[in-house]
Parts: sequence; C-alpha cells; structure tokens
Amino acid sequence: MNTRYRISPQGRGVLNERQIDAHRDPKRLLFNYHRAVARPKRPLYKDPRSFIALLIIVLLAILITEVVEKEREPGPQALPQQNGRE
Amino acid sequence: MTPEQELAYIAAAQADPQRFAPLYEHYFATIFRFIHRRAGDRDLTADLAQQTFLKALLALPRYEPRGLPFRAWLYRIALNEVRMHWRKRKEVVMDLAWAEVRPLSEEFGLEQQEAEMRLLANGLGRLNNAQARIVELRFFDGLSFAEVGQVLGIAEDAAKMRTHRALAVMRAYLVQRA
Repeated sequence: MNTRYRISPQGRGVLNERQIDAHRDPKRLLFNYHRAVARPKRPLYKDPRSFIALLIIVLLAILITEVVEKEREPGPQALPQQNGRE
Repeated sequence: MTPEQELAYIAAAQADPQRFAPLYEHYFATIFRFIHRRAGDRDLTADLAQQTFLKALLALPRYEPRGLPFRAWLYRIALNEVRMHWRKRKEVVMDLAWAEVRPLSEEFGLEQQEAEMRLLANGLGRLNNAQARIVELRFFDGLSFAEVGQVLGIAEDAAKMRTHRALAVMRAYLVQRA
C-alpha cells in the first residue's frame, strides 16, 4: 500500500473536541468486549486441532457402531447349523 | 494524567476491564485524530478507533509497562488496524493541512506556500513505505524516537537512524528540485 500525500491549507480539516466526542462510546466498547470474551475466538470447525479431534471422535463413533452391528448379526456359521437341524 | 496515575489505571483495568474507562476517556481523542489522519472518513475513523480500543482491552492482561507511554502501545494497535483496513488498496491518499506538516517543512526550511508544499508532498512520495511511516509518526503525530520505535517494533536508535535516512532521501530530492 503506497501513500500519496496532498498538502493543502486546510487538509481534511481539524476535528474539534465536540466532533470527536460524538463518537466516544465506552458502553459500546464494554458491550463488544463482553461479547468477544464470551464466545470462543474461533469456531470449532475452523480450528485445525479441534477439527481433527472432532473428526476422530466421529470416525470412532462410526467404527464402534459398525462393530456392534456386526456382532448383533447372526454369524455365517450359525445359519448352516440351523439349516442342518431342520 | 501522570505516569504513576496511568500505571495505576492500567493495573486496575488489567484486574477488571470495567475500569478501563479512565484510559479510554483520556486517549480517545488522541487515537481518533491519529486514525483520522490516515483514514480520512469520520465514520470509518470511529469504527477503527472502537476496534483499536477493543483490541487494546482484550490484550491488556498481556501488556507490560516498559517505561514508555501507554499511548505508543495504543498507536501501534491503531496503526495495525488502519493497515488491516487498507490492506487491499494499492494506494491511499493522505490529506494534510499546512499546520500538520509545519514541523517537517521547517526541517527543510520550506515556507508554507502552495509551490513549496507541493514540492514537500512530492518529496514524501519519494519515500518507501517504511520510511513514510516513520516520517508520519515523527513529524505529523509528534512522537518521540522511543515512541516511534515502540510503535514500529524497533529500537530507539534504529528509529533515529531510519528517520535520518528518510530525511536524507527527501533532502536529496528537494535539493535536486530547488
């Protein structure tokens, strides 16, 4: 970013105290501060560490569900035995 | 506000952000003018000033007084905010009044006349970004070398040396044009 300078007798005009005071808002500052402090700085999905941890948890959950479902299903050896008895 | 009072206010605000008000009240106008010089627009300046004080308040627990005025630390945050805002712009125009450039024009013995002021503006345009920032801080914002160093994250001696180099670049241009 380059800066080009323009020098004139008045410039942008000197701001007086009243003009500056119009923008003074300590309540808004504290409100914004409490809002910034209250929420996490980065959303979970944008934080690489949290994202990987979340991914691992989800993958483990899928894996456990798959294993549990497989155990619940009757095994391939159980079926012929039942057929043989009949 | 004496330096002792300032330290006491900083310590109080570090313990309780609600007690940041005296520092905010004291420095608001200074920071507002500092940003306005670079941003131009008053509403934009108000937003950047609010953002500056918010960042200062959030970073205050990590602030360590090192014998330099608190305002230099605020200037550093403010300058960063301005830079962040203009980061996508190739060129920014800085409108200055004759009164604002007086310390710099006196440095070169220039009179406050239309032609000489145009020459000064062109001379400023000869500086690279780093040199321009130093000259702005030193001559338009009236910071000491120690404060310039703190704002730019360099030593006081380095700030002094870089200012002299920047002035030498300008002087060479002005002599050539004279």
